[in-house]
Amino acid sequence: MRDVYIIGTGIHPWMGFSEKVFADFAAVAVDGALKDANVEWKRIQAIMAGIFIYGGNAGHLSGQYLESIFGETGIPVVNVYNACATGSASLRMAYNSVAAGETDTALAFGADVSPKGFLTAKSDNAVQDRDVIRWKMGGLPNPIYWALECRKRMEKYDTTEEDLALVKVLMSEYGAKNPLARFKKTYTLEEVLKSAYVCDPLRLYEICPVSTGAAAVIVTADKELISKADKPVKINATTMGSAIYGDPTIRISALSCPSVPEAPMLSESYSASRQAYEKSGIGPEDIDVLELPDNSSWHYLVYLETCGFCKEGEADKMLRDGETKIGGKLPVNPSGGFSSHGEALSAQALWQVIECANQLRGRCGERQVANPKIAMAQTYGLMGNSGTTIMSL
Amino acid sequence: MENMANKVARIPNLVDWSTGEVRLMSAKCGSCNTYFFPKEHYQHRPGCSREGVENVLLPNKGKLASYTVQYYPCPAPFKTDNKITPYGIALVEFEKEKIQVTGIITDTDLKSLKIGMEMETTILEMFTNEEKQQVVTWAFRAVK
Ligand SMILES: [Zn+2]
Repeated sequence: MRDVYIIGTGIHPWMGFSEKVFADFAAVAVDGALKDANVEWKRIQAIMAGIFIYGGNAGHLSGQYLESIFGETGIPVVNVYNACATGSASLRMAYNSVAAGETDTALAFGADVSPKGFLTAKSDNAVQDRDVIRWKMGGLPNPIYWALECRKRMEKYDTTEEDLALVKVLMSEYGAKNPLARFKKTYTLEEVLKSAYVCDPLRLYEICPVSTGAAAVIVTADKELISKADKPVKINATTMGSAIYGDPTIRISALSCPSVPEAPMLSESYSASRQAYEKSGIGPEDIDVLELPDNSSWHYLVYLETCGFCKEGEADKMLRDGETKIGGKLPVNPSGGFSSHGEALSAQALWQVIECANQLRGRCGERQVANPKIAMAQTYGLMGNSGTTIMSL
Repeated sequence: MENMANKVARIPNLVDWSTGEVRLMSAKCGSCNTYFFPKEHYQHRPGCSREGVENVLLPNKGKLASYTVQYYPCPAPFKTDNKITPYGIALVEFEKEKIQVTGIITDTDLKSLKIGMEMETTILEMFTNEEKQQVVTWAFRAVK
């Protein structure tokens, strides 16, 4: 396998619902990536596209739509969906194509437009689509799943409502310094603790909404392109994991879970991160900056444990001691996280990778971590999907 | 148990009251002993032969493993004639079957919820359909 580098990245800033078509956002992100990489469209030899699941024909074949905007060149275009880890899947395919020598330069992108209302079932078949049961009979919007796990955590460890609120305080401080984030208002602990419960113990400011956004990453093994790129970022590993039998997590869309654990919680993310550590020879102790999926404040805490940055039940202490702040031992989510962005399904994993790359390239202005050498982006994903990317300068 | 004659589950094959008790319709794998709910959502142990999957009913009673109170109405296609928000959601553990199942909490003071308390499976009337039947879902309530 060849070494693969990120040479160009682009983002369409995150925002709320928009009437514009998703391909317009995608084009902004891809234009940005091409300019950053200083390469012409014709040098792109494969497109790995995260699909936009609410976009019908156009969304499901998002790669073809994108290609036609920039000009069709006959290259392989593959469209992929892995829920919140869709961007991880597209990047992994681009990486594998280049690393294996199938292509020299490939593009991974994802673009998503927030639905006007809530995300609900996409079919009416209760036998094959358990989303139908959870929406029609279960009364189970996504945050309830997180609240059920958060309550278990609070019963088991000493996680407090102040800990959950403190996550938002930190994320809002960083989001305010990120021009690409959607939410830029800062909050005090008191303000977060005064916000209404959505599903207790989780409050309105402690869960993330759905957003619109797009992200694109160009990877290459072409020595000429690497040499002329501004601080190329090496991908040490980019992996995906699925769930492991006996994982006790109540997964979004499920109506049941095992009561006797035989695998770690969030086993798909445990699996993705361990694969990445093994493939790269880099461990959690080596990571200088981490982007994790803080879909809720519970996620922020549990992911530090799932990915091995501390032992189970110790994440609250890391947070309280300031270890996860910019300037701390392990700066977490200097981007402001999902809390400041919201979910744009097929784009968000790439946005996390781009924040890591920008941190390594020293492009993060007021939220810049001091001289990071190794960064890690970790996704969450419904139904047992997760991706981990470890990068270095 | 109350009169169940004019009640129909919104989606079939999930909840049963034919035995005189309200019970969830599960399936058990005869080879890896895993219980599934809903029964079609198989999650076999890797390497299982998948032989001998049979339909079983979960016990009526279990223990509260976790809970939350939802303060915003659940969006469509969820539908109830009466306002139920805020409503509780329970994760109830059936110990012998090694499975936890989610369900709406009904007929229970939400302030009294405590992990470990005994819960029983019941039904919640959601709305009346065109045939004048009461359309129901499964639910849990504190054992009195
Ligand atoms: Zn089995």
